[in-house]
Order: sequence, then C-alpha cells, then structure tokens
Amino acid sequence: MARKLIDEGFTLVRPLAGGLDAWVDAGYDVEAA
Amino acid sequence: MALNVFLEQIGAPIPAVPTLVVAGALTRSGQLSVTAVMLFSVAASLLADWIWFLLGRRYGYRVLRVLCRLSLSPDSCVRDTEAKFERWGMKSLLVAKFVPGFSTVAPPLAGAGGRSTVEFLIYDGLGAAIWAGAAVAAGRAFHRAIHVVLQRIEDLGGWALLFLGSMLALVIVFKWWQRRRFIMMLRMSRISVDELKAMLDSGRTPVVLDVRTPSARKHDPRRIPTAIVANQEQIEERVRDLKPDEEIILYCT
Repeated sequence: MARKLIDEGFTLVRPLAGGLDAWVDAGYDVEAA
Repeated sequence: MALNVFLEQIGAPIPAVPTLVVAGALTRSGQLSVTAVMLFSVAASLLADWIWFLLGRRYGYRVLRVLCRLSLSPDSCVRDTEAKFERWGMKSLLVAKFVPGFSTVAPPLAGAGGRSTVEFLIYDGLGAAIWAGAAVAAGRAFHRAIHVVLQRIEDLGGWALLFLGSMLALVIVFKWWQRRRFIMMLRMSRISVDELKAMLDSGRTPVVLDVRTPSARKHDPRRIPTAIVANQEQIEERVRDLKPDEEIILYCT
C-alpha cells in the first residue's frame, strides 16, 4: 500500500512501525469504530 | 518428496513442484506408486497447513508477521493475501497453492478468522490434491523428457548437482536481496508510535490511514484517533484530494 502511494507521487508516506498493536501496547488512546 | 512438500508449505523457500513432477515421471515408469505419491504429498501439505491454521487460531493476526519474515517474496504481502482470502473465502484454498505467496498465508488466515477445522481440512485437502495431482500429471505427461534430463544429470554426476544447487541458491539470494532492499526502504521511512503520538498531541495532524482489511477491523474494531478507513479499493479515492507533499501515515494490525 505504501509503495502504491509512493508510486502515485506522494513523497511523505510513512508506515507506522508495529501497526495498531504497537499503538495499543504503548497505552495510547484508541477510538471505537 | 513428502519432506520437500512439508518444508515448502511450512514456509521454507524450497519449491516442491519440481520434485513432484519428477515423482510423477517415476510413477509412469513404475518406480513409484501414484497412490503413495499423492497420499504422502497431500498428507505432508495438510500437516504443514494445519500447523499454520492452529497457530493462526491461537495467536491470531500476529502469526502473519512471522510468515512475512519467512517469505522471500515481497509481493506476497500478507495484506494482499488477506484481501484475496476475503474475496474468495474458503474456496480460495482450492487454488491457493497455485498463487505465489498465498499458499502459506491462507491457512493461518483461516485460523485467525475462526473458520471451522473440518471445513478447513476439506478445502485444504482438496486444494493439496489438485496441486499435487497437477504436478504429478505433468510429470507423467512429460516422463520421456524428464527421464532424459535425469539421465543427463546422472551422467554428469556431481557437477550437475552442483549446478542445480547453485541455481537454487542464486534464486534464493536474489529474492532475499530484493526483499531486504524493500524492507530497508520501508524501515528508513517508518514512524514510531511515540513519534505519531507526539505529532497528534502537537496539533500537527498527518493523514492517518487505517489500511487493515475488513476482517482485521472486524477482529479489532478500535482505531487510532483521526484515522480514516481505507480499503485497497478505496485508497485512490481517499487520497485523491491530498497534495503530493502531504504527510500520510499508514497502519495495519
């Protein structure tokens, strides 16, 4: 997905290391769907 | 042969199709039994897949990350596989082994998705039989040519084995290098959760895209504050109005 956006010309595409699991494990707030 | 099938299905980069094709040719000349070749191949494939299915069921989507590390094909990204699995459901297991990168990831996906064990074993067993059957049938159809090649290899002795081994090693090294380059590129640009939190707290709001598949979001419906859901099909629509230098943060599970 990141590669697709970079290929489309976006220059500041950054994947989040560890994804949602890392965010939750760090104890940061999440929103309910 | 069964060990080769098991190793490939468990995730090792050792293709089993050439071995199955040769085994198929040997069944034509009566040196091996078709029934035994099929039974051992399907059993070995089913055993490896079942292990991944159980791991998927026990550890959920986390087990897919391990598979990503094992895989040497960057294009076989777990996310793409997940999208395919969602589109076709358990029937995808019938053809999974013909799609590079899909065969090893589909069983833990089925496990993580809470699919029934019996349904999994039926579809996966049929898929393994179709896959092994196709390779064995090809071996039987081209048995003369395969026997000629085997004879040449035997005549060349150790040199032929050295050549084949070197070719296999080259393919593995090339795929590993391709994958490493891609991972290095992503690592260089990755953002940590602490950096993202600091950005959001400071009021600098990047576009945060939740690119998980619908099943992953169903499994865990929570999301990072301000995140916009973007499926693979929706991604172009979601970013259409953004400037090229806008900061975009993507996250999966």
